[in-house]
Amino acid sequence: MPPVELWRSLDDLAGDPTLRELVSREFPAHADEMLASSRRDFLKLMGASVALAGMTACRRWPSELIVPFAHRPEGYVPGSTLQYATSLDVGGAATGLLVTSYDGRPIKIEGNPSHPQSLGATDPCAQATVLQLYDPDRSQGVVQREGSGEPAPRTVEAFTTWARTHFASLDASKGAGLRVLAEPSSSLALLAIRERFARRFPGAVWVEWDPLSRDAAREGATLAFGRPLRTHLALERADVIAAFDADLLFDDPAALANARAWARRRRAPDDVMNRLWAVEAGYSLTGGSADHRIAVPSVLVPVVLGRVAAVLARAGALPGLPPETRAALERFSSHSFDDPRIAALARDLAGAPGRSAVVVGPRQPAAAHALAHLLNHGLANAGVTVWYSEDPEPARPSHREAIARLAGDLNAGVVDTVVVLGGNPAYDAPRDLDLAGKLSHVKTAIRLGLYDDETSEVCDWHVPQAHYLESWGDARGWDGTAGIVQPLIRPLYDGMSAIELIALVADGKTTPGYDLVRATWQARLPSPDFERAWRRIVHDGVAEGTRFVAVAPELSPGAAAPIAALADAELPRAGTYELTFSRSASLHDGRYANLGWLAELPDPVTKLTWDNAALLHPEDAKALGVKRNGDRVAIEADGRELTVPAFLLPGQAKGSIGLDLGWGRRRAGRVGDAVGVDAYALRSSDSLWRAEARVARRPGTDALASTQDHHIVDTLGKREQAIRAEELVRTGTLEEFLENRAFARERVEIPPDAPLWTPHAYPGHKWGLAIDLTACTGCHACTIACQAENNIPVVGPAEVRRGREMHWIRVDRYFAGDPAAPRLAFQPMACHHCETAPCEQVCPVAATVHDHEGLNVMVYNRCVGTRYCSNNCPYKVRRFNWFNNHKHATAVEMMVMNPEVTVRSRGVMEKCTYCLQRIEAVKIAAKNEARAIRDGEIVPACAQVCPTEAIVFGDLNDPESRVRAAHDDPRCYGVLEEVNTKPRTRYLARLTNPARGEA
Amino acid sequence: MAVATLERPSRDNTSSDPARRAPLVLAGNDYASVTEKVCRIVEVRKPPRAWTLAFTIAASFTGILGLMVLYLITTGVGVWGLNKPVSWGFDITNFVFWVGIGHAGTLISAILYLFRQQWRTGINRFAEAMTIFAVICALLFPGIHVGRIWFEYWIAPLPNQMSMWPNFRSPLLWDFFAVGTYFTVSLVFWYMGLIPDIATIRDRATTKARRIAYGLLAMGWRGSNRHWHRYERAYLLLAALATPLVLSVHSVVSFDFATSMLPGWHATIFPPYFVAGAIFGGFAMVLMLAVPCRQWFGVKDVITPRHLENMCKIVLATGMMVGYAYAIEFFIAWYSGNPVEGFVFINRAFGPYAWAYWTMVFCNVATPQVFWSRRARSNPWVIFAVAVFVNIGMWFERFVIIVTTLSRDFLPSSWNSYTPTWVEVLTLMGSFGLFFTLFLLFLRFLPMIAMAEVKAIMPAPHGEAHR
Repeated sequence: MPPVELWRSLDDLAGDPTLRELVSREFPAHADEMLASSRRDFLKLMGASVALAGMTACRRWPSELIVPFAHRPEGYVPGSTLQYATSLDVGGAATGLLVTSYDGRPIKIEGNPSHPQSLGATDPCAQATVLQLYDPDRSQGVVQREGSGEPAPRTVEAFTTWARTHFASLDASKGAGLRVLAEPSSSLALLAIRERFARRFPGAVWVEWDPLSRDAAREGATLAFGRPLRTHLALERADVIAAFDADLLFDDPAALANARAWARRRRAPDDVMNRLWAVEAGYSLTGGSADHRIAVPSVLVPVVLGRVAAVLARAGALPGLPPETRAALERFSSHSFDDPRIAALARDLAGAPGRSAVVVGPRQPAAAHALAHLLNHGLANAGVTVWYSEDPEPARPSHREAIARLAGDLNAGVVDTVVVLGGNPAYDAPRDLDLAGKLSHVKTAIRLGLYDDETSEVCDWHVPQAHYLESWGDARGWDGTAGIVQPLIRPLYDGMSAIELIALVADGKTTPGYDLVRATWQARLPSPDFERAWRRIVHDGVAEGTRFVAVAPELSPGAAAPIAALADAELPRAGTYELTFSRSASLHDGRYANLGWLAELPDPVTKLTWDNAALLHPEDAKALGVKRNGDRVAIEADGRELTVPAFLLPGQAKGSIGLDLGWGRRRAGRVGDAVGVDAYALRSSDSLWRAEARVARRPGTDALASTQDHHIVDTLGKREQAIRAEELVRTGTLEEFLENRAFARERVEIPPDAPLWTPHAYPGHKWGLAIDLTACTGCHACTIACQAENNIPVVGPAEVRRGREMHWIRVDRYFAGDPAAPRLAFQPMACHHCETAPCEQVCPVAATVHDHEGLNVMVYNRCVGTRYCSNNCPYKVRRFNWFNNHKHATAVEMMVMNPEVTVRSRGVMEKCTYCLQRIEAVKIAAKNEARAIRDGEIVPACAQVCPTEAIVFGDLNDPESRVRAAHDDPRCYGVLEEVNTKPRTRYLARLTNPARGEA
Repeated sequence: MAVATLERPSRDNTSSDPARRAPLVLAGNDYASVTEKVCRIVEVRKPPRAWTLAFTIAASFTGILGLMVLYLITTGVGVWGLNKPVSWGFDITNFVFWVGIGHAGTLISAILYLFRQQWRTGINRFAEAMTIFAVICALLFPGIHVGRIWFEYWIAPLPNQMSMWPNFRSPLLWDFFAVGTYFTVSLVFWYMGLIPDIATIRDRATTKARRIAYGLLAMGWRGSNRHWHRYERAYLLLAALATPLVLSVHSVVSFDFATSMLPGWHATIFPPYFVAGAIFGGFAMVLMLAVPCRQWFGVKDVITPRHLENMCKIVLATGMMVGYAYAIEFFIAWYSGNPVEGFVFINRAFGPYAWAYWTMVFCNVATPQVFWSRRARSNPWVIFAVAVFVNIGMWFERFVIIVTTLSRDFLPSSWNSYTPTWVEVLTLMGSFGLFFTLFLLFLRFLPMIAMAEVKAIMPAPHGEAHR
């Protein structure tokens, strides 16, 4: 017997042979029954096992794995949420974000208050990217398409092995046949890797393409200053803002910061309120918020700008103008187009030197941008309301040139390998270049993408891209502020980030994204204190002192000739129309096409969901024989034709047709396939934003899914809408307000109230909400925030057409004033938490009741679904679950759900709760800390994301609270107060600031 | 009791000569022949062909109703065309329509009884049956229209572990009690009235099965004086009990609308307007059923032209009341100076649902005007046609009230239209199927005319021994 070193019992130690025999067997009893049994015994055993297995199936309990933490991570409390800072880079400009994570899964995206390009706000798209993370249609593995064969799944290792060999084989030619086609990125890490890439493959060309390119502004700066400077706005200093086809409050890389600065100057009317002019063809949100809007075809926008400049030049408001430029401006004076408001705009600008801003949008030609720079310099705005910085990549050719050159190279056959980093060029590149066809013929095309989409289809390799919430990276805002992109979850499907793939190409080996980013920042941050500084940046999401440095450029004289050429702009020939393309307010360039939240988010102006349409001036529609929304028209531009449903939009410039890009995807996924029409089909490289088009009525009408004006509104209804819009969205000019501050309250007579019983007292908290309609731009960020926070389902186009969308907060859009040049009026509308709520009285089962803090609470468990409450709600903000809306949600999709909010079943009513879960969370925290709740501590999801801080929530019993101040504001009024609902949500009347005598 | 002459049997008893009491049973019928005529319908071995055909069709539609309800319950209320502002459509329209239909029976049997309107005896039985079946159809709709049918019993004040009462402020709860009470009282009233006649059928039964079935239903009725005495007392009491219910049930149903705050619903005129409309619609339905029934089952001598004429007069009178209510609604909308209210009414008459409004006005106000003519009142074809129109008109009245108001209320941003789906249309048709199935079964198995009561208003027999 060998010496026993470890013993299990005294018997063991004593060497009892029975025990020894027993412990030597892994399965002590009956385990070998199976080995030495007869066929009959075997069958008996198997039969019993199967029967027992069957019995276990009688339980319908889900099987779950419980994996306890051996060591709980620091600062982590199971079941409580954590927020992490990260950044989202879209089109080369980043927004700082805070992402809420619940037990390791990100569930909600909000703005990062310390990031200057967010200030706590976000746009709808950024918020919806959390849904993209859990999109089951995202590509889930490497796919190889050899020849024209079927896609074959490959492992990541197989790809990396292949890639190492493949790129090593390109070393000989120095990468002469290698092209990288990338979407714009502001990543510093990527820049660093690109340097290594360029060293290894000096012959390779890095091509950048953005379908929503803002390169006209770069080229304009080159014309004006001799180099491609980046223009920034400081709207907080501007009294007069003139936006020429520029949607600076919504479709702008700095839109969130712009909107915040603009709104701050409108909220305190006793200070100087700013004035916004908009000159544009189709309604942008900036135009909708403008005090004056001049609707002209896009082609005439530079003419309006030129005429303004000419008036200013003549009046001597532009000192130091070179004579050739002066002569160029004179040419505009003789242009056939004129509008009386042009002179008023010029007067207004001349009256505010150094306090005005002239902004031109990316869809206008470079010369128009140059002219704006000229004006801003002449008006002494440069360096005050408008400032400039050096472009981070001054040597880069414009997107249009780059992609055209790539197409040429592909045609010439000098390219053998193309790496497509993100984007979706096969879908969104100018169609005349036929990039999709050319990519399919190139020898090797590698695609990194979130989806196996139109581009992946024509590439040999598709590599799944890691979502930005799954990967490391860094990104800079429009103003240069840098932040870290940090992952919140391990990649759901073996994805790779763009920097990881390019590092593989450049270095020939795989490096984790974390190391790549960290190495980049190690080079930038002070070495002794690096760890500390790095941790701080990752934590804050913002790197201090990374903002671009302002430069004070000199005007160069070369711009005169191109500016003079602008004066030759003419309206499209008779019988043709101007077709303008715009970014979809919800799908961006089409990248978010598979996100149900966004597809179902109403367009702010048309209120269309699940569709884009050709926006027509009603008179143009009449001329074309288009009678109602949805009538089909064929638009022919550049030899290609597209059949589109038409939409009659008052306020659209006559002769100009608007069409949103980003729809009509072919390979977006189950949600986004064949939704809307693909406007890219009409886009050519020389008509990126504007094309001459022939339009004709086609037989047939499409049923558009709109969340407002669901049906054709007759004349009777239209008249009534106009009357009511004035009462619902009470609007006054600044002058009216200063004359009579309570003008809004007096607009509707409220009958005297004589309650039959003592009204309820609210001694504790008394929650209330106020919405400032002066600040609301109608961007719909609140709608998506609410959807994400409150697990609101997406119902699909057929249900929207029936009028069954589920949004708890909607933004009502009314046209007001002169039908020829209507004003847009937006009004966010959610449950008003009426003190005398009509819904509560009629519910037979008391499923909707009032709580002691004045909240109108909906008890889902108790609801039987008579829908009487919805009928009796004068605001129609209650939403009914007509079906089980979560029936088909997969486990991955369910991960986006907020565990704090009940997921409603079929047959129950739901509505805004003022984010009750957030109220309770703060109340609990305050109670634990034995303190009172601070004002502003409870922020409902809608208020949190609002870029203009238009929504304020708080305790009305707190005399110091902002919501109390808002409710006491003379502008404050309640919608439908006259029916005695005593709403807790109240509105601050919309103030406009038209130029004197120009209202 | 006045003695009418039997010498001159006539088919026309519509004379309004005040000096002569018009006979209510014609063609020289005596007690025996009335019994024979009424009982024969129940006793013949083979029902008339028309009955079989009608029953087949009605039963098929009942089957469709069952399928529609099953589809609704398994899938969700979304299978209907309802939407965000229009949360009630066909469902509540049908409910109010059927409840309205259910008014005539109890009105005939209770109120006309208290007012000693003897002509009621010819029609009260099947009118009451119609009431019961109409209320069954009516109760179906609030039953199935809720989102979670499996919890609907929460509307009842049942003891439960949550210690929750229902919300007594809700008109839907009042509905529950009002319609429930009405149904119960009507059912008891009807059944009690049936007992002597069921006993007659029991006594005439030739098979054992019929003897047992009718024997059980007759509850031991032997026709003794004591029985009759108690029967008459109970009948009077129930009539007195049912009379206020006739007025209350539709008043309460109208509260569903009147106590809400929607323009076009929030109106104090609703209770009398709804009651008048219900009597109007109910009598039209009685006429619609009586005209063919008296033909097919050979009871023209008992349901005489005078009966029809009287009902036509009621239809004319209540139709005028309804028309007056339509006009007053417009007046009040204008007089109140409430712009939202004003718009709702202009929108009803000239908006997208103007076709429904004018259908309603034509059917309910214009068509009954033909009853000013005596010739029209005595022509069964005209009567039947007007009755059909009135039924269509009354259905549209409820549709107009519900849908025009909901589709365009306070905020124009929420305005929407409502189009029913095939499921709703088939459910409506199915509810008619259910109604007619029950009614046809009633015609086949229970005496459609209250024999005992008819006999009481017949002239006493002369000379002959009572058979």
